[in-house]
Amino acid sequence: MCSAGGPIEIDLNDPLKGRGKKYRCNDCGQTFTGLGKHPMCPSCQSENVTEI
Amino acid sequence: MPRTIRIPFTGGDPVLIRGRSSFLLVARATEKFPLIIETDTEELVQGVYPNDLIVVSAPEGGEVVPALYLLEMVATHHLPVIALGKSHPASRRISYVVSAAEKIEMRCDIRRGTHPEQHLLCTADEFAGMILFANENNLVIENCREEISVSQLVWELSITEVQQKSFD
Repeated sequence: MCSAGGPIEIDLNDPLKGRGKKYRCNDCGQTFTGLGKHPMCPSCQSENVTEI
Repeated sequence: MPRTIRIPFTGGDPVLIRGRSSFLLVARATEKFPLIIETDTEELVQGVYPNDLIVVSAPEGGEVVPALYLLEMVATHHLPVIALGKSHPASRRISYVVSAAEKIEMRCDIRRGTHPEQHLLCTADEFAGMILFANENNLVIENCREEISVSQLVWELSITEVQQKSFD
């Protein structure tokens, strides 16, 4: 149970650290930290990326 | 008893889902784009693809127009979103939160704006546990516990730039 005025805080680990994986774009060389199942290069929108 | 609801979801206009005290605004991504998620320590990138959902939640209710603006900024203009640290004092000031993903689960046990994972979205407890996704021409809502009302919003943002002829 919770309320809109004050959500109960559950510690879901530190939400801002180590949540993504490092990738390199095979088209433009950009490296980035990706989230989710379908990482996409932020520079050229390529899905041709490799986890590093 | 939880139930599954299917709502026609064919046009580009957002769907407004209202509960007793809060609401959700749901749109479908029409193009692929990288959603940039900024934290205080790094930049995260998630691919958003056509038919993914972009959902704005107003856990305390309020006006729909700011939610529409937020939806527009992410869905159309692809502006980055910000994830706060979990103890950040600003989390209690956030009236509207947004997520973009293929399938989004509504949660009321996480602090607003503090989690970058786009498959979770903070809501009031009346929507907690609901899972939203698009299936062909429908918006599917799983685990709907409460009575909800659904509206299709038709809106158009227009602006006219009037040139000043002289400056004194």
